[in-house]
Amino acid sequence: MFKLLEGPQTLGRGKIFWSCFLAVLAGALAYPLFADSYDVGNFAYFLIWIFMALGLCLMWGYGGMLSFGQTLFFGIAGYGYGVLAINMGGGTATIGALVLSVFLAMLAAGILGYFMIWGGINGIFFGIVTLSATLVLAFFLGQTAGPEWHIGPARLNGFNGMKGMDPLTVGDFYIEGSALYYVMIALIVIVYLALRMLVNSGIGNVIVATRENPQRAEMLGYDVRKYQLLTFVIGSGLAGLSGALYTSWGQFITPSSIGLPAAAMPIVWVAFSGRSDLTATLVGSFLLLFGFQTITVYSQQAALVLMGALLLATVMLAPQGFVLGIGRLVAGWWRGRRRDDGAVMAEAGRLQSEES
Amino acid sequence: MSAEVFSVFYQFADVFAFLILSAAGLAIVFGMMGVINMAHGEFIMCGAYVTVGLVNLGVPLAIAQALAALTAGLIGVLVEFLVVRRFYKRPLDSLLATWGLSLIVTQSMLLIVGSAVRGIGTPEGSFAIGGYTFSTYRLVLFGCAVAVLAGLYVIFMKTRFGVIARATMQNAAMAKALGARTGRIYAISFGIGTGLAGLCGALYAPTMTLIPTMGATFVVESFVTVVIGGANVLLGTAPAAVFLAMIRMALNASYGQIIGQIGMLVAVILIIRVMPEGLSSVLVRRGR
Amino acid sequence: MALVEVKGVSKRFGGLTAVSGVDLTVNAGEVHCLIGPNGAGKSTLFKLIVGLYPPTQGSIFFDAIDITAERPYARVQRGMSIKMQAPSVFKELPVRQNIQTALQERLSGAERIAEEDRLLTLLNLRPDSEKLAGALSHGQQQWLEIGMALALKPQLLLLDEPTAGMSPEETFRTGELIKSFNAEGMTVLVVEHDMAFVRQVAQRVTVLHLGKIFARGNLESILQDEKVAEIYLGKTHAH
Repeated sequence: MFKLLEGPQTLGRGKIFWSCFLAVLAGALAYPLFADSYDVGNFAYFLIWIFMALGLCLMWGYGGMLSFGQTLFFGIAGYGYGVLAINMGGGTATIGALVLSVFLAMLAAGILGYFMIWGGINGIFFGIVTLSATLVLAFFLGQTAGPEWHIGPARLNGFNGMKGMDPLTVGDFYIEGSALYYVMIALIVIVYLALRMLVNSGIGNVIVATRENPQRAEMLGYDVRKYQLLTFVIGSGLAGLSGALYTSWGQFITPSSIGLPAAAMPIVWVAFSGRSDLTATLVGSFLLLFGFQTITVYSQQAALVLMGALLLATVMLAPQGFVLGIGRLVAGWWRGRRRDDGAVMAEAGRLQSEES
Repeated sequence: MSAEVFSVFYQFADVFAFLILSAAGLAIVFGMMGVINMAHGEFIMCGAYVTVGLVNLGVPLAIAQALAALTAGLIGVLVEFLVVRRFYKRPLDSLLATWGLSLIVTQSMLLIVGSAVRGIGTPEGSFAIGGYTFSTYRLVLFGCAVAVLAGLYVIFMKTRFGVIARATMQNAAMAKALGARTGRIYAISFGIGTGLAGLCGALYAPTMTLIPTMGATFVVESFVTVVIGGANVLLGTAPAAVFLAMIRMALNASYGQIIGQIGMLVAVILIIRVMPEGLSSVLVRRGR
Repeated sequence: MALVEVKGVSKRFGGLTAVSGVDLTVNAGEVHCLIGPNGAGKSTLFKLIVGLYPPTQGSIFFDAIDITAERPYARVQRGMSIKMQAPSVFKELPVRQNIQTALQERLSGAERIAEEDRLLTLLNLRPDSEKLAGALSHGQQQWLEIGMALALKPQLLLLDEPTAGMSPEETFRTGELIKSFNAEGMTVLVVEHDMAFVRQVAQRVTVLHLGKIFARGNLESILQDEKVAEIYLGKTHAH
């Protein structure tokens, strides 16, 4: 099964890649020992969004389904966590709230996805239908300021957003600060490796084959709609995981994390990073989130202008993504050097197939 | 005509006008070039700001609105030339590029002009039928929507440009081989599309608060209308707007705006499932 | 015994009737060729059999089961497999992965890899197995698609102009390949223009003209039929 960690669908293989992976992981695990807790909290905050980016990478890069609805499912699970955590009364129940809220997002994705995929919606229309649904949810939540909008004791609170839910808790122990950071790191490692195995498995073969040529995939006996729905539900569920973790991290959520311009952010991260590879998306999204947060401190608008400019620049200059492009360049250089040395060149990735 | 019947017509006309005016420009660009202009809302915003700016300078409203539409159209031609032109073979990339533009424009506007601009207020004037009072301006908007449809009909069905444009839409390579300057046709069509967006903003500017993010208000309506209307403005967008306006009107009246919007979205998603090829294909097929 | 029965099938596209009231039986174990001039409705009939279009009228049976309403993937699962007219492969994926995607439901592990190698060798694609399918020549893409169709080990193999873009030697080899699979029990329905190829493989021939069955029988009797020669050489006086 672990053989599936490597394969034609993912860049990075062999000893060198996995040594780097372990080194980065070790660094990430050691980080809280050297940093103050405020920075660790901030770091955990960047990591929240990675799930959403990986989910979009799966749908868009591997499945060929450009969903603009990541913040829709982020919002469903984010509000879902809030409502559930408030109603279920905190404590260890918050773990249940997290799981249930992600399930809720996946259920919503299943319903919306069923109508779109069985209706034969694809390409541009897939994007604008998911975006329409996202914006409608944001408008709806924005209009729930009145006291009549509540689910149990949980008030939706319109534009000001919902607050007062407990963070993730086990017994009496709040998962905050370093603890939350370690939970995030563990979740990211699990999700990243699981996605690598998924895309390199037989199911992954069908997912990319459907992206390439849905008719041919169907002519091999696959009900491509089911594979597309599965991809959409997993990808959107990851957005839901981000949403639930976000609400738990800050103990609030507002409609502005669903509507525009928030809905554009996952698109920017994944496009900039390189949608066709999970590792590129992981690295690139983290860099962008870090940069964005640094600039946001001075001016949120300026940071968003920059994100827009990055999206435009990516599409015009490097449609396959900047991080992926640089990654391939480095791997190519490495491979070339080893070739000069006359050494074996097993590790440097699947360049040959990529270059043509 | 009894007052109740007129009242129903009035509410229908109000929603219909909103749908047509917000969607027409998007539909033209999509129909001609297969491109969804994600900066559509920003062209609407542009039309609104130019209108309000000119009115505050003392220009009469109607002239300000015409100039605003023209401005949006010219900016559209420029955007087509600088950005959109590169992506005709990659429709998804054009979507991303225009979305990038949209982010840049909205956020820059927030940085430069800030969030609030003094509005100009809806032109007064109302009339009463039976016990009901109606705003004249809302009927003017309906008239404008009908005029836009009529204007598009004339441009695309009766003029030389329209013939060449439709030929380009059917088969760009062939039209080019026959001597049509497809590049210029695309630029003009894009300009017409963004000009209509500008007109939408100009017409609604007096009725709403001006904020740089106002484009988002129109985006959902224009998207869903184009989704079920498909590529043909006259045979697709117009009937789609009639259909959606009826749903919306019924729900608005009983449950309020937001439920109306949710209901419209749900209707669209159901229609996608039942009629995968969109409303226009059904109409076109029936027409044969 | 009939493997495929097409009963009174018509397909209209708007005002155009592409296939009109066609009855066709393909017997289990035979190589059956479908010939006819361009626009006769051969490819449309293929797409109707495999389910890419729903018929306007009529019904289609596979192994005595009515499959008219079934989606293409379900028909493939019943044991059909098609190679389309224009090469249809997964262009951005390596050649081996193309084959693998077709094989993985049937075989796994070492068995699958052995079968991949066998097919790649059979199709002369072994040296190119790590290349992207889109980088292959037109003829090689035809081979690859035939390979994917074969990988499913179908009861019925539908081949729409399998030799287009191939050299005479390659065409001959394709013919021999089809015969060898037929000898193992596979039923084959082929659309083909190349008469030498038809002569090489066909056991029964059906001529389609203007969407209707025009003649059927063995190749010799068909070729002696003057009316068939007329539609092929354009000597009809009807115009």
